[in-house]
Amino acid sequence: MADSNRAEPLPGLLDGLTADARGWLDRARADGDLPVLFPQLPRRLGRIAMGGGVQRHSGATLDLGAWRTCDGGALLLLETRTPSADELVDLYLRGDLEERTMVLRALACLPLGSATATLLGEVQRSNTVPHFAAAVCDSDLLIRARDAGVLDADDANRMLLKLAFVDLPLARVFDATRLANTELSRMLQDLASEREAAGRRVWRDTNLLIAHAPTAGTLARIAGGLEHGDDAHRIAAARGAAHIADPVLLRLARERLDREPSAAVRTELAAALRAAERTP
Amino acid sequence: MKIFEPHIHMFSRITDDYEKLALAGVRAVLEPAFWLGQNRTHVGTFIDYFDTILGWERFRAQQFGIHHYCTMGLNPREANDDRVNDAVMEILPRYLEKDSVVGVGEIGLDDQTEKEERYLIAQLELGLRHELPVLVHTPHRDKKRGFARCIAILQDMAYPMERVLLDHGNEETIQITREVGCYQGFSIYPFTKMDENRMVAIVQEFGVERMVINSAADWGVSDPLMVPKTIVKLRQAGVAEHAIQQLVWDNPVGFFAQTGRLDAAELSQPPGFDRRETFDGNSVLRGQDPTR
Ligand SMILES: [Zn+2]
Repeated sequence: MADSNRAEPLPGLLDGLTADARGWLDRARADGDLPVLFPQLPRRLGRIAMGGGVQRHSGATLDLGAWRTCDGGALLLLETRTPSADELVDLYLRGDLEERTMVLRALACLPLGSATATLLGEVQRSNTVPHFAAAVCDSDLLIRARDAGVLDADDANRMLLKLAFVDLPLARVFDATRLANTELSRMLQDLASEREAAGRRVWRDTNLLIAHAPTAGTLARIAGGLEHGDDAHRIAAARGAAHIADPVLLRLARERLDREPSAAVRTELAAALRAAERTP
Repeated sequence: MKIFEPHIHMFSRITDDYEKLALAGVRAVLEPAFWLGQNRTHVGTFIDYFDTILGWERFRAQQFGIHHYCTMGLNPREANDDRVNDAVMEILPRYLEKDSVVGVGEIGLDDQTEKEERYLIAQLELGLRHELPVLVHTPHRDKKRGFARCIAILQDMAYPMERVLLDHGNEETIQITREVGCYQGFSIYPFTKMDENRMVAIVQEFGVERMVINSAADWGVSDPLMVPKTIVKLRQAGVAEHAIQQLVWDNPVGFFAQTGRLDAAELSQPPGFDRRETFDGNSVLRGQDPTR
């Protein structure tokens, strides 16, 4: 539990605020009804991009690329006032679009527990994709929740399948490849087949994630990915091939390298081949 | 022509309506909390309804490039219902602090009962306490008397008239509101309330000062495009462009901007709360993969 006396603002937050906004935030941290204060954050602190890139904060790793001053203020307010799990869930459920976003972004830095499980369950069943992204992306919350047993393997698989379904980049879920398992690979491959049958786009990171837990059909998918017409798919397949280091895949990667028109994909293919040389 | 639609119940409409509104120039809509076509029997359904118009409905609007605002209140019909009235009053203060809530409404009179008056007054007090404008629904039956009664109540409380919008007006009520200094809304509704041609005649006679027009589209036979359709009629009748712009944009924006929660400049930006794509130009994440 964050100690209210030691709650630290994210770097750069206070510099980005006007004197009025800082004054309001100080008062809100000290006193007042949280459900009434919380919706005021955007209009009091603004929605200004915080910047700051990848940070460590309260045991979490997060990327501040999507964070606004109101998100940073919300985290500081929650770390200072330490609402109970029920109060935190209530802030989300009775919150407007902005409040929900602020709660979900802060969630990565708040103590793992029943509120984490409840709120991840809520976004899993939400069609508001930016809310799903605010909870699952740009931090290592998912892997930490899984490691701590707040989520079980089935929960984590369903969340990653939804990530694929709504087409968010795997790179935004930190350490997600550690969550790979053969059941998830089967689910992702089935989703890909279903999309192909319908003539629809397949999640571009499929070939990367399944490579971390190969199952029946994985090698063939990655082999096909090396010749895919879309650069992003070939990058994912090259990274997948690097991870699996199967001799057939490496031969196909070498064969592709000479014909590959994209410099970014060539870099990935070359890296895959070098990695294979290093492993006996 | 930029349009602010100041009274529409998008909760009851489909995405085609959003698409048509956007094509017709509607940049922002105001959704007043209202009756849902049948009575609710417990407060939980109000809570979920309020959460939906603040959340999912706003998100839906944003998908079509439309800013979504709302007003929160206990409508006069259900003010008569003891299963819900007091409980809704209890939850309102929290909802009136929400960022996209720019007024108390629809409140007002419908059957003009004593109970309706009591909850109207209680909600006007909330409006004063939260410094919000009020959107007042006036009765469809015995309208003139209901209008006069609403105004008497407002004057008794010394409610600042520039923060009052009396809605569902007509040729008779415009005479009254011009004198007291409040805003007046006209709901252009096929077959009933007020049609486009009558609205043109009103504008020609009285001008557009403190007037707004809306479709009041809901779950009934109604047309969400009534504001753009009325604009066409006004143009054909020779009403000046600047007067039309004042009627469909400056007036409603000015009225709801009195909250400080609606910024006219913000309305010129596309709506959204996930700015990652715009923010992320310099993010270290771009081109780098933290999973590796
Ligand atoms: Zn209405």
